Amino acid sequence: MEKDLVEYIAKSLVDDPSGVNVNMIEGEKSTILELRVAQSDIGKVIGKHGRIAKAVRTILSASATRTGKRVVLEILD
Amino acid sequence: MVREFEGATEKDAIERAIEELNLNREEFDVEIIEEERKGLFRKGNVRIKVYLDDREEDIPAPAGGDIDEDADENEPNYNRIEYHDPRGAGEATRTPPPLNPTEDEVKTIRFLTEVINRMGYEATVNVIRKEDSKVVFGIESKNSGILIGRKGKNLDALQLLANVYANKLSSSMKVVVDAENYRIRREENLVRLATKTAEQVRKSHGSRLLEPMNPFERRLIHTTLNTMKDIETKSEGDGLYKQVRVFYKGN
Repeated sequence: MEKDLVEYIAKSLVDDPSGVNVNMIEGEKSTILELRVAQSDIGKVIGKHGRIAKAVRTILSASATRTGKRVVLEILD
Repeated sequence: MVREFEGATEKDAIERAIEELNLNREEFDVEIIEEERKGLFRKGNVRIKVYLDDREEDIPAPAGGDIDEDADENEPNYNRIEYHDPRGAGEATRTPPPLNPTEDEVKTIRFLTEVINRMGYEATVNVIRKEDSKVVFGIESKNSGILIGRKGKNLDALQLLANVYANKLSSSMKVVVDAENYRIRREENLVRLATKTAEQVRKSHGSRLLEPMNPFERRLIHTTLNTMKDIETKSEGDGLYKQVRVFYKGN
């Protein structure tokens, strides 16, 4: 669910949607989502001063209030 | 439905609301309308406004209720914005009045709807207003409380992403995302807060630091108070969320 959300947002914002890849590591209390995008698109998902990344994390936690589970987003390069 | 509650702290006021309304914390949206810090000899006092979702209690849904059900079954909701469809005459009775969305606006509506759906909530997104290059997208959802978030945090995040997305399509569109008229409500509250704070510092001849706000909200405080000759405002701090200090400078 949350994986789908991150994937959709990332694909909508980058120039190269085929370079988007989300890996989910599910723990007991929290889920870690690892987002990878094409090198040239990294700025598109982080934004100036991390504004986009922050917005995505906010959206994720709003989504996670439904399930009560913590979701951590990591952007890897 | 809007109700007001009071308590010594924010938590206190919220607990009182939960008790009285017999609801869970997730089921309503809270806005702080007045906050007095606890002093050494003073008890703190917080007044909050609680926004309840009363849609479910609404008896007969206004015209368009049937359309909702049909649309949910087969197609995503955003298809409903095809107002130019001649058969859609019946849909024109829906409020807000239809605005013919451009291609980019349709795409942005789809983006917002898809994001909200993937968050696990159902919503209908429409273009509700256009001013110059500014386009206001309204979210209708029974989960609007969560979609707005504390101090509009989630609404701001959705708006930021929608802006980035829309700017990829065309550089001129400025996206505003709203739900339950939150933006206007917040504006009114900020203007009220600004004038109240000005009165306070006028009496105390001191200064007061307001809570952190985004650039738009700070601008509103500055413009509200810059007509008052004896009051001055200044932003303090770093980053996106600076704080405005309101102080008395005399005549």
